[in-house]
Amino acid sequence: MSSTLHRDAQANLLGNRSGMTRRDLLAATAIGLAAGAPAIARAAAAQDQLTYGIHVSLAPTWFEPAETSGIITPFMVLYALHDAMVKPMPGNLQAPCLAESWSASEDGLTFDFVIRKGAKFHNGEPVTAEDVKFSYERYRGADHDLMKEQMASIETPDPGHVRFKLKKPWPDFLSFYSSATGAGWIVPKKYVEQVGDDGFKKAPIGAGPYKFVSFKPGVELVLEAFEGYWRKVPAVKRLVMKVIPDEATRTAALKRGEIDIAYSIRGELADEVQKTPGLSLKPVVLQAPNWLYFPEQWDPKSPWHDVRVRQAANLAIDREGMNKALFLGYCKTTNSLVPYTFADYWQPPAAVYDPAKAKELMSAAGHPGGFDAGLLYCDSSYSNMAEVSLNNLAAIGITTKLQPIERAGFWAGYSSKKYVRGIVQGASAAFGNAATRLATFVVKGGPYVYGSYPDIDALYPQQADEMDQAKRAAILTKMQQLVYDKSIYAPIWQLGFINAVGPRVGESSFDRIPGFAYTAPFEDLTIKA
Amino acid sequence: MRRYIIRRVGYCLLSLFLLSVTIFFFVRVTGDPATLLVEPGASDADIAAIHHQFGLDRPLLVQYGLFMWSLFQGDLGQSFYYQTPVFELYMQRLPNSLLLAFVAMGLSLLIGIPSGILASVRIGGFWDGFGKLFTMLGLSLPSFLVGLVLILVFSVYLGWLPSSGAGTPLHLIMPAFALGWYFAASHMRLTRSSMLDVLGSEYIKLARLKGLPQSLVIAKHAFKNALIPVLTLAGINLVIMVNVAVVVETVFAWPGIGRLLYEGITFRDFPIVQGVVILGGFMIVIVNLFIDILYAVIDPRIRLES
Repeated sequence: MSSTLHRDAQANLLGNRSGMTRRDLLAATAIGLAAGAPAIARAAAAQDQLTYGIHVSLAPTWFEPAETSGIITPFMVLYALHDAMVKPMPGNLQAPCLAESWSASEDGLTFDFVIRKGAKFHNGEPVTAEDVKFSYERYRGADHDLMKEQMASIETPDPGHVRFKLKKPWPDFLSFYSSATGAGWIVPKKYVEQVGDDGFKKAPIGAGPYKFVSFKPGVELVLEAFEGYWRKVPAVKRLVMKVIPDEATRTAALKRGEIDIAYSIRGELADEVQKTPGLSLKPVVLQAPNWLYFPEQWDPKSPWHDVRVRQAANLAIDREGMNKALFLGYCKTTNSLVPYTFADYWQPPAAVYDPAKAKELMSAAGHPGGFDAGLLYCDSSYSNMAEVSLNNLAAIGITTKLQPIERAGFWAGYSSKKYVRGIVQGASAAFGNAATRLATFVVKGGPYVYGSYPDIDALYPQQADEMDQAKRAAILTKMQQLVYDKSIYAPIWQLGFINAVGPRVGESSFDRIPGFAYTAPFEDLTIKA
Repeated sequence: MRRYIIRRVGYCLLSLFLLSVTIFFFVRVTGDPATLLVEPGASDADIAAIHHQFGLDRPLLVQYGLFMWSLFQGDLGQSFYYQTPVFELYMQRLPNSLLLAFVAMGLSLLIGIPSGILASVRIGGFWDGFGKLFTMLGLSLPSFLVGLVLILVFSVYLGWLPSSGAGTPLHLIMPAFALGWYFAASHMRLTRSSMLDVLGSEYIKLARLKGLPQSLVIAKHAFKNALIPVLTLAGINLVIMVNVAVVVETVFAWPGIGRLLYEGITFRDFPIVQGVVILGGFMIVIVNLFIDILYAVIDPRIRLES
């Protein structure tokens, strides 16, 4: 009797009054487990959904254009949720988006933008001049002081027009407004005022191709296609961005079809993906050159003071060998610290690997036996690169000791000018143009400038005041030539960022915007039939 | 008894206070979180603005005082990175961690206890040797390696189990095994040594002399007594599993508290690290207090001695 009661109670718990036994339960579980395996692959492969395996933890601050720093990562989400007046798009680094067109006055003091007719936010409200003004004024990310200082006023003559009046001519206004900052990414004024800044981050509304559905901090972001997007209705109805921090796990998830797109797969794992039928790599060359920097070159007592020694170091680096060994050859070797995608980039002579000539230069400079160069400082994430450089330099007699430092500590030390002796392996993925890159790393007063050359410094204000674009480009070219001639840096490559896609992905939208690491534009994504 | 409990509660409060001091100052030794929240080359003004926003520009003792004041009000602060209250983040992840921990604990007890008993009654034999090997591997193999091998075999090669994430019972199997193995090994060791202690005691010899069958001696007389320290350890281990399964949760992208702690450490998100450690410590203290009180209730010598 008690056994029967027990059995009935168990059956009730299972929601089944037929009287399931313990043995029945075990059998059902086993069948469920076996049947469940293929179901997972099917779930991930939902017809109208693409699933991403993201390498970094998604943060709500990335839903908020006003807080965008000058780094590339937040744009991974911004391109889906939001839209900008002008932004980099395939084939055009300053493509008209929410701005249908714009014009600049001859004196360079006024920029007039015409807002695209029919552009609207996810809540159905139209994008207006007030939203554009509001978005600019509330911007508080990197360079907000600069953006504020340069602006005299923002006028909104009617809902379809906005006029920016500058205090003085600023040739880089569009560069900063379109890509280097988030000031040109438009948020709905009424909604933000209604829900507040925190509320906006919890439930963002933008004018981008995908609407916010849900977000679990550090776990998952779900987006849904916005039918009213002005450019086109996205073909993929739903995007799921899952955070999978471990690279090997991301690769396994891609192989199993649990995700369709994996960001950042490197080294042997990338090779493994390459060899797997149905999977493919989508490498992107980032706007992130890496280089060696010689901070002692302004010290007359240092061997680095002699340009021939710096040239020798440049010739000693086996960039191609390093590229093949560490990044499957997907980096783009370079001889400039300005990315080739930047406006006013000057193409220097190609970097050459010639250790014999490097030794000749060392002898000519009075160091036939080489010298001890002290420490080679680097961000520990890229110590593998620094190790190769160290060996290459040792081959011509320049001996160094590797000093890898945790990323934040390295950058703090670099910018606070702690590494006055030795060699620094640096990099920058910041947005901008040739002028901004030179200002940061070459011209006197730049945050990473340990010393400078008066001829280059003198050219910098000239280009900043020059409103004739051709003349300005000529000055910036001259500056880059001088950087090359003086061998201030030994550039290595523009970093290759390797993504991988599964068999369901049609158009992955990788590498369509030069230098951008992630999918964009999202509305162009497709799933194979 | 009342005095005993009051004294134990006092120890608990002191432990929590020391923990709060330690974790508060320890996380601040790791460096400045502002440098991880801005792009390289950010101006000093930008960094100063972040310091001000998060109250990091105040003297350390003032920061600690505010932290404790908030803590007394049940507020663990707001995450720097996620800009969400830490308690909210913790509670979002807690169900996942509890689920993983309970399943892993179940596995570890299911494996550890029987194999420990078997090793103790077959001492020097095959099962004892096998148990030692199992223990050695469980304690020495790093869980990230176990996790990756499991993914490779069961997910990639065999295609039976999902590689990462949460949501179905299948998602639980590999992380629970990767987490549970280490603890299964420690439970097995403790069960074995505890059983050996008990089997050597006088009342077991008496039971044998009385002619009781071996199975009855083991099951009824030895096992029950040997189980007490194992269950005590299991209680503490369960709290550890809930709060610090950092590696396993990261490898399997399991959205639990361990991964939250990992993210907190990675981003120098002081409120997250402080919150997770304080709540984990609180759980351990409560479990210990409960066990102490239980011991005192069961064994009068403990409360009398104290």
